Amino acid sequence: MSHSDETIVAISTAPGRGGIGVVRLSGGQALEIATGILRFPQSPLDPRKATLGEFCDISTERVLDQVVAVFFPGPHSYTGEDVLEISCHGSPVILAFLVELCLARGARPAEPGEFTLRAFLNGRLDLTQAEAIRDLIESQTLYQARVAAGQMEGAISQRLKPHKEALVRLIARLEAGIDFAEDDVPVSGWQEIAATVDAIQKDLSRMVESYQLGKIVREGLTLAIVGRPNVGKSSLFNRLLNEERAIVTATPGTTRDLVSEIASLGGIPLRLVDTAGIRETHDEAERLGVAKSLQAIADSALRLFVVDASEGWTEGDERLWTKVHPLGSLAIALNKTDLPKLLDRDQLARRLSEIGESPSGTIVVEVSALTGGGIEDLKQALLFIAAPARETSGQGEMITNLRHQQLIQSALDSLGRAHQAARLKVHHEMLLLDLYDALNSLDLITGATNVEDVLRVIFSTFCIGK
Amino acid sequence: MAVPGFTEKYDVVVVGAGHAGCEAAMAPARMGLQTALYTMNLDLIAQMSCNPAVGGIAKGHLVREVDALGGIMGELIDTVGIQFRLLNTSRGPAVWSPRAQADKKLYRVRMKQVLESEPNLRIKQAEVMDLVLEDLPSVLGANAGRRRILGIRLRDGRTVEAGAVLVTTGTFLNGLIHCGEQTYPAGRSGEAPAVMLGEALRRLGFETGRLKTGTPPRLDARTIDFSQFQEQPGDPVPTPFSFRTRQITQPQTVCWIAYTTDETRRVIQENLARSPLYSGQIQSRGPRYCPSIEDKIVKFPDKPHHQLFLEPEGLDTHEIYVNGMSTSMPIDVQWAMVRSIPGLENADMIRPGYAIEYDMVQPTELHSSLETKKIENLFLAGQINGTTGYEEAACQGIMAGINAGLRVQGREPLTIERTRGYTGILIDDLVSKGADEPYRMFTSRAEFRLHLRIDNADERLTPLGHQAGTIRDADYQAFLEKKIRITEATKFLLETRLEPGSRVGWAVYSKLGLMTGGQFTGPGPLTGAQLLKRQEVTMEDLADWVNEVLRGRSLQPLGGPNESTGQNLFAREEARRIETDFKYEGYLAQQERQVERMKRAEARRIPDWFDYAKVSGLSREVVEKLTKVRPVTLGQASRIPGITPAAVSLVNVYIEIFQRRAAEQARA
Repeated sequence: MSHSDETIVAISTAPGRGGIGVVRLSGGQALEIATGILRFPQSPLDPRKATLGEFCDISTERVLDQVVAVFFPGPHSYTGEDVLEISCHGSPVILAFLVELCLARGARPAEPGEFTLRAFLNGRLDLTQAEAIRDLIESQTLYQARVAAGQMEGAISQRLKPHKEALVRLIARLEAGIDFAEDDVPVSGWQEIAATVDAIQKDLSRMVESYQLGKIVREGLTLAIVGRPNVGKSSLFNRLLNEERAIVTATPGTTRDLVSEIASLGGIPLRLVDTAGIRETHDEAERLGVAKSLQAIADSALRLFVVDASEGWTEGDERLWTKVHPLGSLAIALNKTDLPKLLDRDQLARRLSEIGESPSGTIVVEVSALTGGGIEDLKQALLFIAAPARETSGQGEMITNLRHQQLIQSALDSLGRAHQAARLKVHHEMLLLDLYDALNSLDLITGATNVEDVLRVIFSTFCIGK
Repeated sequence: MAVPGFTEKYDVVVVGAGHAGCEAAMAPARMGLQTALYTMNLDLIAQMSCNPAVGGIAKGHLVREVDALGGIMGELIDTVGIQFRLLNTSRGPAVWSPRAQADKKLYRVRMKQVLESEPNLRIKQAEVMDLVLEDLPSVLGANAGRRRILGIRLRDGRTVEAGAVLVTTGTFLNGLIHCGEQTYPAGRSGEAPAVMLGEALRRLGFETGRLKTGTPPRLDARTIDFSQFQEQPGDPVPTPFSFRTRQITQPQTVCWIAYTTDETRRVIQENLARSPLYSGQIQSRGPRYCPSIEDKIVKFPDKPHHQLFLEPEGLDTHEIYVNGMSTSMPIDVQWAMVRSIPGLENADMIRPGYAIEYDMVQPTELHSSLETKKIENLFLAGQINGTTGYEEAACQGIMAGINAGLRVQGREPLTIERTRGYTGILIDDLVSKGADEPYRMFTSRAEFRLHLRIDNADERLTPLGHQAGTIRDADYQAFLEKKIRITEATKFLLETRLEPGSRVGWAVYSKLGLMTGGQFTGPGPLTGAQLLKRQEVTMEDLADWVNEVLRGRSLQPLGGPNESTGQNLFAREEARRIETDFKYEGYLAQQERQVERMKRAEARRIPDWFDYAKVSGLSREVVEKLTKVRPVTLGQASRIPGITPAAVSLVNVYIEIFQRRAAEQARA
């Protein structure tokens, strides 16, 4: 079962933000997959030696992180197979992106405990160690129990349930047509098959698209820093920039200007937009400039509204707020908290609710651009707004788990083939291969369907039997 | 060594001469073992107690497999079939399946002749009263409670010693027939049940179940107005069941299609309280796929008309089987139901339909060799194991027969993988899952469906039959020649381009629209393989071209040696066999990938001594299930209902742990 040619990949450090995160690959293609994603000064990698490399996004040539990789050729490795360990800075987004690229190149997400299981099955562990595996697999059992109980994957299972049922019904219809051709069972036409597949595809596509992480990491985000003059926009801008400069490295050949405007937010390339020019004006030319700035703010993915805590909530803040607030994806930085405060979080929240803004709707973070206090919280808040899926659980609308995204994508691929097969009027017993492939992918999220489930639908739907 | 007290001695004894028993007796006899077949009535061997037909979707596959293993059902139905149809031909070749109406009387007469012609086989009429057993010596507690069968005791007092005993008693164990409010003990219609043997089996302590099945009424053809029905003829070119059949010789007949009416529904609904199924008289479970007509009306009230088939039971009888009207209603209601159908207004009922309840042994009591786990050398096959259908019975019969023979010969048992045949799927399902309704084969049960075709059953199974000894040398030779033909033809088609100038080329390229005014307009000639990938091109188009080459290489043309008269029925089939591999190459490969994982799991064996109770982390329910079924491989374990993937992984890990622990202890 686990003895296989498949290369597996997983983040092997604890979830959440740490100093260093490790992605581990095991299997025959480990090295090949990694060298397609990472750039090393020399190739091939020396076995068992730490080698410095760069993790860049191939499509943009942008360097996302510096990594240290160690290659352990099999059989003298932890699992007994070729193993590659890649250490990068501990941003969860970078780690997830790295794993995602490995999957795109043919790796498969490791099941819980699978590295150890492979080690064990390849004879790399002694008896005492082997017994420890039991615990790992028991935890897998627990994991499945939780899945069943709906605590962890309940939302997504619920969301998938009607599609799985529709798929099983379609399979049952086609199977009934094959196995009970002698009974007068209605035979599904290809339009009917295509329409059913289509409906499932549409919603699954939406689910896959809701998994934004990869897209965000690849394409980056723009962050507009908005606020009255002198609330500390520029210092906050610099603070956000400086903090991350060590990670974002200039790609040779690009101008310094461009780089200076890009910060990294937990691994997400962040383009900072200058919105300095916004104020009330009667000058026609300036008015055009303001319009342009407002457009830029609207076009940004994220907005950071900066307020001077030492001055309190002014009329100017409120005017600007009414323009920016409807755009959403917004956080408020209550800056200059190193000075005596006229306004704190709670007061601001009350004020906002007075002007029709629900207090929970906007995240407010107290910061000091001068001392750097609260900057970490601010980044978390921005990250939360950028990729809420990453942080929240139980939101059925959003795919948060890379494994789920992969499985649903693979179900979609199979459905695509089934759709094609239906249009080509391929015989049902062959078209069914694609439908079963799709069902199996969904089964890996929600639990298995077996032949009895299909038969049950057949016998309850059709009057079968001579 | 003859055990004192036995009056007779055989290598293998088979009890019951239905469709399982006949195959079960023939197999060891062909393997060279002295075999005896016991039946309560010599004149009712291989009686078709229900439908006078063999085959059907998935069932036809089973018959082909029985035939490929050296069984007799295929050849027999080919000689007595009176209407042949290949079903599902609007789909791909994987789900094509032959079916034939049998001349019911001829079937049993001919079966008796076939059995009598086998020199190593004796047929005996006697009632078996008991099984003779001995306790197995306990080895370190491993054999606790296990016994071995030594032979059988007959009602007349004789005892028969046997190296292996096969019990194939069908519905005869505590059979109880229901016809309306009336009930009476019976084995099949008009036959006494095997009460004493039933008692004897019960004493063995097997887990048993009770199932139900039913039959429809039979009508007198002379009282039917057939002009009211749609005629259903057989295929113009019949598809035989046996790879050894070259011709169908029986005169062919037709069947008719009828529909129930509103009146039928009214009759049934008004009398529902008198149906044993709805009055509570019958409690046991019947098959969902073969419901009685009253079930159909109740469960599918929106379906206005239900399809019926009127099938002749033979060429020299007026008896007509009303397929689709299985019922246990009282006789007066059956009359009214029948007469509610236009064309049957005056129909005379020859025998009423009935339901029968019978005991079965839970097949989880069996190894996949069909030997019982509790009693060594005792094998069970057929309906006693919870299946339904002659074909399902026959394939178990031959497998149990082969395995009993192998046991007596001291050889390893034969099991067929799920990826190799429907027979393997059927047995694996039974021994892993048990049966809580009569088990029937469907193609949807096969993970490897596209590969398990009727056209390659011999390639899948005949080598196994030959190894076991059930395939005669001459038949094996013919099989090998066919294989060479197919290999050569396939190679030729892959390598050779069809010239547009040739006769076949001109016809094929014209079909593809690549000839204009006698000129080839394509970019270049195509290979046979490329041509067969096109929807429009079949092997029939290329057969002459291929046969010419085969003859040139001193090989037989497709279909093998041509008989002097008539068509060679297998030429078409061999041609399709070759075509399928080309035409559906992509899907065949896709399915192959799908079953890879399954095959790996199948390769991981669970040792006999494995103790599930010592695996920490398994729930008690899971331990109980696994201990009861004792799966042979991890794959089988994963198919047992309620066994999670995590439990399977745990077992996998513990196989290693236990093995290493044992090795360490051995060193210490």
